[in-house]
Amino acid sequence: MPRRRFLTGGARATLAALTLGGGAGGLLTGCASDLADAGTVPLPRPDHPVTWPVFPGNGPIKPGLPAEQDATLQVYTWEAYINQACVNSFAKKYKCKVQVTTFNTMNEALSKLRSGLSYDVLVGATVDVLGQLIEGKLIQPLNHSYIPNIGQAWPDYASPFYDQHWQYTVPYTIYTTGISWRKDLVHENPYAMANPWAMPWQPKYKGRVAILDDYREGICLGLMKNGLFDLNTTDYRQIATSRQALEDLIGLVNLRIDNNDYSEVPTGQTWITNAWSGDMAAAASYMPKGVNVDVVGYWFPADGRGPVANDTNVVLQSSSSPVLAHLFLNYMLDLPVVLENISWNGYMQPLTGVTPQVLVKEQILPPSLTSTAVAPSAFRRGLFELQLPVDADALWQQAWLVVSNGI
Amino acid sequence: MRNKRNAFWIALATPGIIWLAVLFVVPFYAVLSIAMGKLNQLYEAPVAVWNPLSWSSSNVIDVWRDLFGAASFAGPILGRTLAYVAIASLLCLVIGYPAAYFVARFSGRRKALFLVLLIAPFWISYMMRMLAWIDLLSTGGYVNKALGWVGISPVNWLGGSSVTVVLGLVYGYIPYLILVLYAGLDRIDPALIEAGRDLGLGRARTFVHVTLPLSRQPILTGLLITVLPMLGDYYTNQMLSGAASTSMIGNLIQGQLGTPGLEGQGAVLSLFLLIVLLVPMIYYVFATNAEAAR
Amino acid sequence: MTDTSALTSEKATETPPVARRASRLPGRNPWGHPWFLEGFTWLYLIWSLVPIAIAVLFSFNNGRSQSAWQGFSWRWYFSDPVNSVLHNPQLHAAVIQTARLSVLTTLIAVPLGVAFALGINRWRGPVPSTFNFVMILSYVIPELIFGVSMFFVFTTLFSSVHLGTLAEVLGLVTWNVSWPAIVVQARLVTLGRQYEEAAADLGANQFQVMRRVLLPLLAPAIFASAVLVFSGVVDDFVIVDLLSSNAGNTPMSVIIYSTQHGGNGGPALNALGSIMLAMSLIIVIIGYVGYRLLTRGERGSGLAALTAISGEG
Repeated sequence: MPRRRFLTGGARATLAALTLGGGAGGLLTGCASDLADAGTVPLPRPDHPVTWPVFPGNGPIKPGLPAEQDATLQVYTWEAYINQACVNSFAKKYKCKVQVTTFNTMNEALSKLRSGLSYDVLVGATVDVLGQLIEGKLIQPLNHSYIPNIGQAWPDYASPFYDQHWQYTVPYTIYTTGISWRKDLVHENPYAMANPWAMPWQPKYKGRVAILDDYREGICLGLMKNGLFDLNTTDYRQIATSRQALEDLIGLVNLRIDNNDYSEVPTGQTWITNAWSGDMAAAASYMPKGVNVDVVGYWFPADGRGPVANDTNVVLQSSSSPVLAHLFLNYMLDLPVVLENISWNGYMQPLTGVTPQVLVKEQILPPSLTSTAVAPSAFRRGLFELQLPVDADALWQQAWLVVSNGI
Repeated sequence: MRNKRNAFWIALATPGIIWLAVLFVVPFYAVLSIAMGKLNQLYEAPVAVWNPLSWSSSNVIDVWRDLFGAASFAGPILGRTLAYVAIASLLCLVIGYPAAYFVARFSGRRKALFLVLLIAPFWISYMMRMLAWIDLLSTGGYVNKALGWVGISPVNWLGGSSVTVVLGLVYGYIPYLILVLYAGLDRIDPALIEAGRDLGLGRARTFVHVTLPLSRQPILTGLLITVLPMLGDYYTNQMLSGAASTSMIGNLIQGQLGTPGLEGQGAVLSLFLLIVLLVPMIYYVFATNAEAAR
Repeated sequence: MTDTSALTSEKATETPPVARRASRLPGRNPWGHPWFLEGFTWLYLIWSLVPIAIAVLFSFNNGRSQSAWQGFSWRWYFSDPVNSVLHNPQLHAAVIQTARLSVLTTLIAVPLGVAFALGINRWRGPVPSTFNFVMILSYVIPELIFGVSMFFVFTTLFSSVHLGTLAEVLGLVTWNVSWPAIVVQARLVTLGRQYEEAAADLGANQFQVMRRVLLPLLAPAIFASAVLVFSGVVDDFVIVDLLSSNAGNTPMSVIIYSTQHGGNGGPALNALGSIMLAMSLIIVIIGYVGYRLLTRGERGSGLAALTAISGEG
């Protein structure tokens, strides 16, 4: 089952300080600030790992507390991002109720969280908003004694670069962003192409090309098509180049911008799109009658130079059942539960017990789509889309606004 | 005596007035304050500036430049929105008028049946209607199947087509127009039409000289009720197209309101839209008052 | 809005007699029944209603498809143990919330709007005129910006009203109060002062005039606006999406929009939509029957009822 996400958030924009120009002239200007710091909020990078502070008054809960009784665990997550069956089995095991509330965009979630709404767990917090969540004291540090199942996850997660010593987060899903296409309707094969990222730029597929409605993924596609692989660039010229490429794409193929990759490639409404690996892994549920899932292809570069990401689960500061919240995080790291979740969700989770072989064997993943599985090696080599400094983020946002609405 | 009379009616109107003042006027002023306000740099939250003396015009300048500046990108969106709405309204009229006319004048004993069928979409939610069309318009959906029976190859309806968006707008808003037209045409005194007939005019000329002038008021009112919400529409395009090339001004506003840092611009653009809508709105108020006075 | 409830319009639709003047096309009666127009009207009705009929039909589909019929089943309504509207807690809570919101909003908005219309109609001056304008402004403003302003106000200015059902009701009432205000005002204008003046001559004070003369005369319009408000709330997703705080106060319309907005939501959405349709229809029927009861004896009241309910009365 798919998730629809709009990656927004990240750093803030100071419009008064910048002259942002839209349009075809490429008038974007801005200050390229230092990568490492936005001034107040540290920006994690693979080569600049961050240990987040623990604020007084927002410390972790004490160890050894019993689970709350007769409680309702409030889970806040993306639309269609967690298997209701897993939620139900957790509720049964811990004798509580669970209410799942969903949001459509991270921006919406952050607005509502900042407005004071209280939940227990946020499932699917993207790495690029961790700074906001932590500095804004919206999430609480974890007490590791409640989450022994972390041992089932890849060893990387004992101290990921974005949250050293896993103070606030446990991993949820991992995924890549590649190109998905219909093998029977499109003649080209990205594996054989010199520049597979340029696959959408083909006028003969007019009306059949889409890209994800996500400002980071969109601009990154434009960057990579032009051979630029700094996915956190603050260089306004690169952003302008990407924007130009996307505007060309709109003109070439009457580009559609939505997050329906998971359903439209299987039904044939879209023939070429950039796509999230987890969405395409679930393609089998969306194939129309009589069409085999083999016709759906997913490509990700073999050298790993493409966007990878992992989402996290966190406990919210406003949680009224923090022990249950920790237990929930622990529960979602247990292999049988994880396999059940993946079978519904499509998105891989970084447990050592989850391998493409296991997924195919459990009939969760069709053999033709093993390219959607994420191997630890590819993951470590991959490119993360991370939190940007304030002014750079504004450039990205503005470029995307022009692309998605202009022309 | 007069004061006492008035006091009663004033008392009746007061709860509504207070409600509007607190829950409409204040939020409206909040929109102004956001539009003219600043930005909190740590979060993306816009900071409302309540004191008009401290209002900042940076958002207005940005939006103005986006719309009309040298490197404007939003100009085409405006033009496209106006074109879509104009065409859709015209289509609503061309389709709706004959249907309303027929039901008002010629449906005989079946008038109640026709009226119920005409009104039915009015009570079916907009979402349900759009959902229904998405199913039908998909590549393997019934519309393409039907076209196939007639030998036409399948059309990519949902691939970013302005035709689909315009038809979607028509489909969504026509019930309102038809109802107003029906009521107006129904009100036309049949004696006037008979007079035309008695004077020897053919049907067409009676229509032109009698019916059409009498339907001017309902046509105009109906168009206003249809055009105003259409201008702010964003979900029709979102659901039926999703292409950048068919986006309307409502999509731009929605994009700005949902982007951290750009909410202020979204507020400004909404206010611009509202100013544009004021003109037909004031006309509508006058037209209705004139109608009431008659 | 034009008022048709006082019309006896049935008279107008008898087929007129053959014209005495010879028609231009020999043998063709220019005043006969217009088959072309009727055909056109049927085509329009089919275009208008058949897609919905299909969607409702597929809500009973035994499979996941929304275009390939796989047999009749109630699974999306209640048999499927995980995904049916009855068993999926999110969907199930949504139905309840829709009912709750529509009833609450109608109970508040209608009296508020009716009282406003009555008061504004009688009270002359700059204050009432201004607020009449504001009321119409609330009818015209794009819903998205209104919703965003409500969100902002409830989270910063009036933050003691948290997001949730209370905020949703307040927002929905404000958004929908223009229906009763405008509909009742239009009806008042048509009624004129004659009844009131007659009652006043007979010695009634304002309160009695209102209770015994005006309100009964306005009952059809009040009913009509109640039906309008109810249906408007069932359909609303823009405001409520912004003002909801958890799955317990997310109504059906928002679920349909969020799931569908991202793509194909499956027949459970059709089931939800059909339930919404049924709720609106029930209210319309209640409104229609109520109107008929209240206007017993008036000529043409059946048709007038229908047009009044749809907002033209």
